[in-house]
Amino acid sequence: MARVKFLCDADRCIECNACVTACKNENEVPWGINRRRVVTINDGKPGERSISMACMHCTDAPCAAVCPVDCFYTTADAVVLHSKDLCIGCGYCFYACPFGAPQYPKVGNFGSRGKMDKCTYCAGGPEADLSPVEFQKYGSNRLAEGKLPLCAEMCSTKALLAGDGEIIAQIYKERVVKRGYGSGAWGWQTAYKETIAI
Amino acid sequence: MKPTSMSDAEETTMSQTTKGAAFDRRSFFKALGAGATVAATPALVTPAQAVDPGKEETKARYQESEHVKNFYRTNRY
Repeated sequence: MARVKFLCDADRCIECNACVTACKNENEVPWGINRRRVVTINDGKPGERSISMACMHCTDAPCAAVCPVDCFYTTADAVVLHSKDLCIGCGYCFYACPFGAPQYPKVGNFGSRGKMDKCTYCAGGPEADLSPVEFQKYGSNRLAEGKLPLCAEMCSTKALLAGDGEIIAQIYKERVVKRGYGSGAWGWQTAYKETIAI
Repeated sequence: MKPTSMSDAEETTMSQTTKGAAFDRRSFFKALGAGATVAATPALVTPAQAVDPGKEETKARYQESEHVKNFYRTNRY
């Protein structure tokens, strides 16, 4: 049984935010919510690094551990999903998650958070696969269509990998063996010289 | 004793009616409270159960289709 994962190759990410845009468009994510975002370290300085972050679909998910209504569940291929019918918008998962993955639309009255929304690994939710209700609540279910999350599929530099954890880890290892430590981008050493610590 | 005036008669009747109504209302709420306690008892003793998402929801959706294999192939270079 495959254990699906995300892997972001920080040496390849160019902070184009196409993954963020693709996710929002594909899943029709509500206003104020970004299921995925790009974090840049040392922005604007030589040796800056960007990494695309979303729900990491943890094996022992802290969001699920703190949920008072137990609305989270993990699928057989290790995708952490939740039921918006059960969610009460308490916000515990937001505080528990080390990646800031759970988000709230905040469209209700009196400052209520509303139903939590997060990356579903393009795997929908508890409703019937590929049903309109599932799409309306959770976005598209590309996994059921035999595809992978769109953020990874349309990454222009192939920085964001998704799929079977063992296969993408092997792909990453091959890259590292081929290019060595640091960026494999052409001209990197010309631009930043040998002295740049990466 | 026969009431001496119309207003006295009305007052007596109203007083009796009020007393009767008060008694009935209190009895009603007492009975309601007892009923609610009886109804709530099984709910209190029943242990809480976590939601079971079921096999259909938790089944693996990942497939190593041609589409996915192409993704792996193009990511190798």
